[in-house]
Amino acid sequence: MKVVHSWLGEYLGKSLPEKKDLEDLMNFHIFEVDGTEEVNGEVVTDLDVLPNRSSDCLCHRGVAREIATLLNVELEKDPLSEPVELKSINSIEVKIADPTACPRFTASLITGVTVKESPEWLQKRLVALGQRPINNIVDATNYVMYAVGQPLHAYDADLFPQVNGRWNFGVRFANEGEEISLLAEGTKTEDRTVYLNGSELLVVDNSTGTPVGLAGVKGGRFAGVHADTKNIIIEAANFHPTITRKTARRLGIVIDASKRFENALSPELPAFAQRDIVKLIIEIAGGSYEGTFDDYDIHQSAVVTKVKFAHVNRLLGLDLENDEIISYIKRTGAKIIESDTTSFVAEAPFERTDLNEEADYIEEVGRIHGLLEIDSIAPEKQRVKAINLKQYYGDVIRQVLIKLGYSEVITSSFQKKGNLQLKNALASDKSYLRDSLKKNITKVLDNNHPHIDLLGQTEVKVFEIGTVFLPGEKTVEEKTVLCIGSRLKGNGYSPKDDVVVETACNDVEKVLPVDLVWDKDKGVAELDLSALWESLPVPDSYQEVSKTHSVQYQTISQFPAIARDIALWVNENEEANQVIETLVKSAGDMCVRHTLFDTFTKEGRTSYAFRLVFQSNHRTLTDTEVNEIMESLYKVSAQLGWEVR
Amino acid sequence: MPNKNGHQHPISRMISEINAIFSEIGYTFAEGPEAELEYYNFDLLNVPKDHPSRDMQDTFWFKDKDVTEPTVLRTHTSPVQARYMKENKPPIRIIVPGKVFRNEATDATHEAQFYQLEGLCIDKEINLGHLKGVLEYFFSKFFSGRTEVRFRPSFFPFVEPGVEVDMKLLDGDSKLAGKWIEVMGAGMVHPNVLKAGGINPEEYSGFAFGMGIDRLGVMKYGVEDIRDYYSGDLRFVNQF
Repeated sequence: MKVVHSWLGEYLGKSLPEKKDLEDLMNFHIFEVDGTEEVNGEVVTDLDVLPNRSSDCLCHRGVAREIATLLNVELEKDPLSEPVELKSINSIEVKIADPTACPRFTASLITGVTVKESPEWLQKRLVALGQRPINNIVDATNYVMYAVGQPLHAYDADLFPQVNGRWNFGVRFANEGEEISLLAEGTKTEDRTVYLNGSELLVVDNSTGTPVGLAGVKGGRFAGVHADTKNIIIEAANFHPTITRKTARRLGIVIDASKRFENALSPELPAFAQRDIVKLIIEIAGGSYEGTFDDYDIHQSAVVTKVKFAHVNRLLGLDLENDEIISYIKRTGAKIIESDTTSFVAEAPFERTDLNEEADYIEEVGRIHGLLEIDSIAPEKQRVKAINLKQYYGDVIRQVLIKLGYSEVITSSFQKKGNLQLKNALASDKSYLRDSLKKNITKVLDNNHPHIDLLGQTEVKVFEIGTVFLPGEKTVEEKTVLCIGSRLKGNGYSPKDDVVVETACNDVEKVLPVDLVWDKDKGVAELDLSALWESLPVPDSYQEVSKTHSVQYQTISQFPAIARDIALWVNENEEANQVIETLVKSAGDMCVRHTLFDTFTKEGRTSYAFRLVFQSNHRTLTDTEVNEIMESLYKVSAQLGWEVR
Repeated sequence: MPNKNGHQHPISRMISEINAIFSEIGYTFAEGPEAELEYYNFDLLNVPKDHPSRDMQDTFWFKDKDVTEPTVLRTHTSPVQARYMKENKPPIRIIVPGKVFRNEATDATHEAQFYQLEGLCIDKEINLGHLKGVLEYFFSKFFSGRTEVRFRPSFFPFVEPGVEVDMKLLDGDSKLAGKWIEVMGAGMVHPNVLKAGGINPEEYSGFAFGMGIDRLGVMKYGVEDIRDYYSGDLRFVNQF
């Protein structure tokens, strides 16, 4: 929710904090600030209004009220504090089929307006909020929504049919198969026709039953305001949050109005919004106010909550006096109905539909007082109640395999084909869940073999311990499996791979003293671990984990690597690491990996064979470049008396 | 040639470290299914159907024909809280490291699958100060340096008060040192969640926290793209 500072200032007066103070106040006491910028000459702060405060803080009055609470000041002007008296009118009638779905519907008639551009001050504020000004009537409905949080809709009264001098509005559920044409959304130019399934609430022209809008979600083109409109009807209603939300989600329409309704707006708001919009329209479009029809059968009942003082301090870890707690509660606008030494009873302000239970009030005290005030209490050493066998033996298996040169991977749980398909997959190649790790491990072997020189390895050896999913009788069955894979050759599986994997399986068997049933297939072997845990010995404690693990990750170069071998005769007493150090120094930064792959000694001389791998982070190296580096290495070697073989 | 050692994946490596750190203060390593009932993933955690708080987590659903009760790929490790509370009496101290899933577009900081670390402590007289103390203890050990934690207000349906947690490494020459970094969400377990787990909120209170292990790795090791964790690329894994 974006808020314009000058607009907040209308309510707060001199109490409006400076930009930095406002940001800190918000960040540490209510909402995270996404940033402040100047738009169209207005200072605008973007607040991440949380779901529990979307009922009262998705508007300037709400945010200003919150600032006043935090600063412990009164609002200079509060549109929700004065009771509203609206003139009644006989020429509008509203029939609400289900008052639970629509607790309130108000409609005001204003005659003789002039549709034109909005005044500059209003346009400026809407633009600052990222809105496109349309005309003074439509802009006024948006303006009042951003002011007090109540969505509004304007109709051309002359285009809305009248029967015997009366406009007949209705609010009812849709009929199955009924359709409605909705105003184009966002940047789209065409109206959208949607087919209804009966769960949607509609605003209708009750004289004919024609739907004019999806209640709380989106208006139609029916009786829209246009350049020559003279007489208007303004609707301000309250719709049930869940019904609004279901319709909005199903149809994928999430706009300012639906977002507000689905967060349980107070049904008290429409009257305030009518008062304010009537005043605004007469100010910017002229005309005269004829009156408002107000159907409000089920009034919002006061929500009263009992809070124990001890619970406040118990949960927050603070030591607040009863008086302090009471003063924080009062600052929210809640009324203290009664209190004694152990507890108090508070009545929530009508617009705070989020204050319903004790924890809600405890949270208020915590954030108004300030969460920075909470002191930490250090934990005490104690023994765990149980050792997790999956974690314990998982690490045992990891250690065995890592010692044999296997690296651990974690692969995707999604795959292209399988037996268990998701209802709503992210992509067609990720629409099933894996039922085995074998395919993934084979793919990992395929993908890594080309990098074997870069990795400084002669073969690829990997394993994964992960969850696989199988269709069960009633529900999805899960298994934890281990899968081991090895690949010697670049062109794919060779039977020698099985021999390598066999060794690994044998070593795993040594640390898991139970019968293991492997599923072996072309250089990979899978083992269902789920069934094993219960039969394994229960250890007393976890193995030690070395905590000195400092690694600084380096970005993987996207450019190809080039490998070259060099073999040298050196004196018998010269160590391989001294030799390679000299070579690498001369080779420069492009030499990213070196591996000693052969050593033998003969007649007082030692032969070392190294594989050097060259790669750049910024470009593809050419053969010529690498040849030049190799030439320089031959030269250096010659100078040092090493004979290149 | 002598056999070269392979490399442990940074995620499982971090989980082992996390477990070692928390087991010293009595936190049991708990777990639950990745294919989770909607009931545990949402309902018991005070996230009602058709409530805006569900929007915070885009969910993968299993097909109706495959399950008798609505089932999701768990969107967080929090359902294990609910499961554990039903099966164990307080005092409860658990961590739940595990894979979770979100149905959202992927980029360098978002993956459809990632690892989360859940923590839950329920006992008599547990308050936000205990949460702060446990987190400072954990971060100090995990990042090998003195760490300070601060809270900002936030909202998660299963806790109240809900807080956003920032941490700051007080010393050391790490890139992270001296800066406040937003690391996770936490709060005091909502009374509705305690009740759903069969625990009397009048008698017990508790805190819960949840953070991305992937993100811990971004901070600890400087991993730039969290998708690399799941690429199976040894050029990545073998750096650890």
